[in-house]
Amino acid sequence: MKPSLKHFFDSMGSYLARPGGESLERLYTAHPEWRAPSSRVSIYGDFVRGHVRTALEKLFPLLRGAVGAEAWLALVEDFTLTRPARHHEVNRVGEGFPAFVADAVSSRGLPPYAPALARFEWSDFAVFVSQAEAPAPVERLTPNPTLVVLEQPFRICAWVRARGQGAARGPEAGDELALLWRHPERLVTYYQEATPAALLVLKMAVEGLSASDVATATGMPEADILESVARLSREGLVLAPLA
Amino acid sequence: MVATTYARRHGLSPLGVGIGLRRSFYEELPRTQRTLDWVEIIPENFLSLGGRSQRALDACAERWPVLPHGVGLDIGGPDALDEDYVTGLAALVKRVDAPFFSDHLCYSRLGGVYLHDLLPLPFTEAVVEHVVPRVREVVARVGRPFLLENPSYYANMPGGTLSEADFLRHVVEEADCGLLLDVNNVYVNARNHGYDARSFVDALPLERVVQIHLAGHTTYPDVIIDTHGDRVCDDVWSLYRYVLARTGPVSTLIEWDQDIPSMAAVLDEADLARAALREGAGR
Repeated sequence: MKPSLKHFFDSMGSYLARPGGESLERLYTAHPEWRAPSSRVSIYGDFVRGHVRTALEKLFPLLRGAVGAEAWLALVEDFTLTRPARHHEVNRVGEGFPAFVADAVSSRGLPPYAPALARFEWSDFAVFVSQAEAPAPVERLTPNPTLVVLEQPFRICAWVRARGQGAARGPEAGDELALLWRHPERLVTYYQEATPAALLVLKMAVEGLSASDVATATGMPEADILESVARLSREGLVLAPLA
Repeated sequence: MVATTYARRHGLSPLGVGIGLRRSFYEELPRTQRTLDWVEIIPENFLSLGGRSQRALDACAERWPVLPHGVGLDIGGPDALDEDYVTGLAALVKRVDAPFFSDHLCYSRLGGVYLHDLLPLPFTEAVVEHVVPRVREVVARVGRPFLLENPSYYANMPGGTLSEADFLRHVVEEADCGLLLDVNNVYVNARNHGYDARSFVDALPLERVVQIHLAGHTTYPDVIIDTHGDRVCDDVWSLYRYVLARTGPVSTLIEWDQDIPSMAAVLDEADLARAALREGAGR
C-alpha cells in the first residue's frame, strides 16, 4: 500500500474511532489541501456511531427502558468509544455489551439488575439466530441444541413476561435459573424459569432415561412424567422422536 | 447500445427484476404469488445467523435465483481480506448457486474493526493499485463472476487525482470484474457534487454493467442521503431508462432498506422496473 493511502486510512481511523469536532479538525490538519465541506465528512462519523447505537437499541429494548434515556445515551456513547464492532454482522456488536454494563453498574448508578437483564436480552437474540439446527427427526429424547441456561440473581423471566405491568419497579431479587431456547418450528425464542419438571425432562434427555426408569427411581407417577415430556416437547425445550 | 461483453463472456443473461430478502419479508416472500424474477440477499445476514433467516433463504432459493450483495467485503480497506468472511461468502455463493455476486467499491473496516458503513475511497491511482489485486483474490477464491457497485459518497476524499468515472473504469477494467450500476447512487452523487448524471453514465464502462440498483433517497436542505427508504423518484426512473437505452436489458434490483413498506409496495416498484425493461427491449 502506498504511504499516501496508509496516511489516509490512519487519519480516517483516528477520526472514526472518536467522531467529534476535535477529531474532525485533526483529520483536516492531516490533509491540508482537502476542501470537502466538514459537514459532509462528519456524516460518516455520525453514521458509524449510529450503527452501533441502532443495533444496541434493537437488541436491548428492556434495558434501555429500565435505565432511562439519559443513562442509556451515555452508556451507548461510551461503549461505542471502545470500538466494539469487530464482526461483519452488525448485531454481534451486542455480544460484549452485557460485560460493559456489568462494569458500569456502580460507577453509573445503574439498577443492580441491569447486567442480568442485558445478559438475558443478548441471550434472547443469540438463541433466536443460533446456527445450531434441530435435527429432524430425532431417534431419542434430545435437548434442544439452541438451549442456553442463565444463572442470575434476579427473577428476570417473570419480569420480562409481565413487562409493561409494573415494569418500573424492576425484577425482584432472587436466584433464578433461566432457560432460553428456539422453538424448532416457530423459530422464535422461548424462555422460562427452570422448574423441577423442566429440569427432570432435560435430565432424561441428556442421560437417555425413560419415563418408567424415572418413575421407578423417584416414585413419581409415570403418567405425570410423560405429560411433562409431551408438554415440553410441544414447547420445544426437548425434541421427541415421532410417535 | 453497448454489447454487455462482461456478461456475455461469463454466460450471464439478464434475470429480470428482483427485490431484497429483508427480515420483514421472511414469511411472506417465499409464498408470494406476485411476479418476481430473482432475490437479492445481504450475505452478512446469512453467514452467521441461523433460524428464520436460513429457512427463508432456503425457501427463496427453491423458487428464484439468489444473488448475494455484500456490505462487508471491505474490498478497498487497509486490512487483509477477512479470511472467515471470504470463506463463508464462497460457501454461501456455492450453496445458493448464485450466477454472480457483488459488493461495493469502498472500505468498511479499519484496524480489524467493522464500521458497518460503506466508506468512500479517494479517487487515486494508489487506490486502484490497492484494490485490483484484492478483487482478483476474491474472484479466485469464490470462483464466480464478481461485480463492484459504484457507491454513494457525500464528500470527495482527500488527494483525489482521477474523476469518479475514470476511477471506476480503472478498477473494473484492471481487475476484470463487472459493474453493478446503482442508478440512484449516480443521481445522488450527481446532485450532491454538482455534475451531470447522464454525462457521468456516458463515461462509464457500460459494457461491464451486469446489474442495476434502483432505490429511493432522502433530500435534506444541503445534501441528499442514499437512504433506500422511499420509492424510486421520477428523475431516477428517467436515468434508468437512459442507462437501459445504452446497455440493453440488465438484471435490476429494487432496494428498500429503511422504513420498509409492505412487500406489495416493493413489488409494485419492481413491476415498474419490469415495465421499463420491457419498454427498453421493445425499442
